[in-house]
Amino acid sequence: MPAIVVDDLRKSYGNFQAVRGVSFEVGHGEVFALLGPNGAGKTTTVEILEGFRERDGGTVRVLDVDPFERSTQRALRERLGIVLQECAVEPFLTVREVLQRHATFYPAPLPVDEVIAKIGLEEKTDARVKTLSGGQQRRLDVGLGIVGQPDLIFLDEPTTGFDPNARREAWDMVRNLRAGGTTVLLTTHYMDEAEALADRVAIIAGGAIVAEGAPDTLGARDTSAVHIRFALPPNVEAADLPVAVTTEHNGHVAIETTDEVEVLHCLTGWALTNHHELHGLVVERLTLEDVYLRLTAEVHQP
Amino acid sequence: MSTAVATGRRRSDLGLVWSELKYEQRAFWRNPFAAAFSVGFSVVFLILLGLSGGNDRVSFLGNVRTVQYYVPGFLAYGVMATCFNVLAITLVGRRELGLLKRLRLSPLPTRIYFGALLLNALVVSTLQIIALMLIGRFAYHVAIPGNLIALVLAIVVGVVTFAALGIGASGLIPNQEAAGPVLSIVFFVLLYLSGLWFPLQPGSALARISAWFPVRHFIVATFAPYDPRPHANAFAWHDLLVMGIWAAVASVIAVRRFKWEPRRS
Repeated sequence: MPAIVVDDLRKSYGNFQAVRGVSFEVGHGEVFALLGPNGAGKTTTVEILEGFRERDGGTVRVLDVDPFERSTQRALRERLGIVLQECAVEPFLTVREVLQRHATFYPAPLPVDEVIAKIGLEEKTDARVKTLSGGQQRRLDVGLGIVGQPDLIFLDEPTTGFDPNARREAWDMVRNLRAGGTTVLLTTHYMDEAEALADRVAIIAGGAIVAEGAPDTLGARDTSAVHIRFALPPNVEAADLPVAVTTEHNGHVAIETTDEVEVLHCLTGWALTNHHELHGLVVERLTLEDVYLRLTAEVHQP
Repeated sequence: MSTAVATGRRRSDLGLVWSELKYEQRAFWRNPFAAAFSVGFSVVFLILLGLSGGNDRVSFLGNVRTVQYYVPGFLAYGVMATCFNVLAITLVGRRELGLLKRLRLSPLPTRIYFGALLLNALVVSTLQIIALMLIGRFAYHVAIPGNLIALVLAIVVGVVTFAALGIGASGLIPNQEAAGPVLSIVFFVLLYLSGLWFPLQPGSALARISAWFPVRHFIVATFAPYDPRPHANAFAWHDLLVMGIWAAVASVIAVRRFKWEPRRS
């Protein structure tokens, strides 16, 4: 059985349907990203998987159990790591004390010094938490998520508010978790984050999944048409070109094709033979961002 | 390297309560507000009030010296400040920071968390009470009461009642900014009405009004073992019963209204 199975999940707050029929599976050892704009239903979905919120409908299995079932909840949580959006650590305790406390909750915790090394807070081991910078507190937060040696870790927008260096470090940490065999479910609204980290991505918008797949195949990115763009050479009309032009605007042409090798061969051969330059020539495939914007724009945001 | 080795075995409940109590103790004593508002206030007020007119006598309480009235009064204050005021403000603060939500999502059972929180309040109260009794004894010649069992019972009922009220109040307070002022105003007005600063004439308007609130009953119950009148009962059963009713009502509110996640509006 996969690590996570979600089938037709539904959740409303009053009249607002936050999650409307979400289904997906996450395999063991996989990094799965829920990508979507704010208010799309990412956090609600994750909170249901964590057993924090009760669902209105649908089936949810996390490591083979219902996360809201009281009788198995403690055993389940001993196998889960959870990093919330809010940075929440006791301000008056030191880094070591906070980690030591959380380590007592788990049957097989990592040695605290090992966690401190992993999150790169060796210098701050005995510093009070309130003296840490925002980024350092966030790393401690991640440390609390991994101290119990979880089989499955939830990362809710793990790099929101990070500077580029801190993001790279956080990404490396996720890659290390994956390398160690931990299953990761992360939510994010950063396309590059999903692309860099996830084995599979589900785009969620308006409470429903609008696309799902490996980042490089999402929205048929790998097989869909490419765009070839360049500026028309002087004294050349679009009609003079050896290939059919899709759009032309102010001397800039775009050719949409699924047969880019053939088209480029034809076009560049023609240009060389006739001594034309193709200024600004680019070949573009849909980016994950194009797919994301297209898919999320189609959904009417409540 | 740490000596902790993964054993793969869950800690016993008792072991967890112990480690949580140690955590709560650290968090309490390092929080300047918590320590000052409970222990600091009670000690300073007892010393000051004892100095200013502590030897005056209260005719309607068997000519007891005022300071002998203040010692049990500030024992009660210490318990109430620790269990009600500081506990409620701490819980609201932890909730708004997201600490309670994080804890809720950890494997730590809720009963162990609250058990340790209560024990912590009991430990702080006990330390405070010992300090106040020693100050009373050596600075103001207020004897340790003969019926210690009655005093211990009153204190335990007080800890439970005011902790239940504190946990219940935390669920009703929307944010951290409101917690301190709102709780402190309610608390000090009740302390005033209930005769912490001056003994209330039996049957007076204040005595009748404050009889509706648990603060008055707790002050009466801690004073009972200190009451010098010959036929006074060291066990204030009636007052303990009223506190018990408050504890029951507060527990229901605490369970129903407790919030684990920050309120966002």
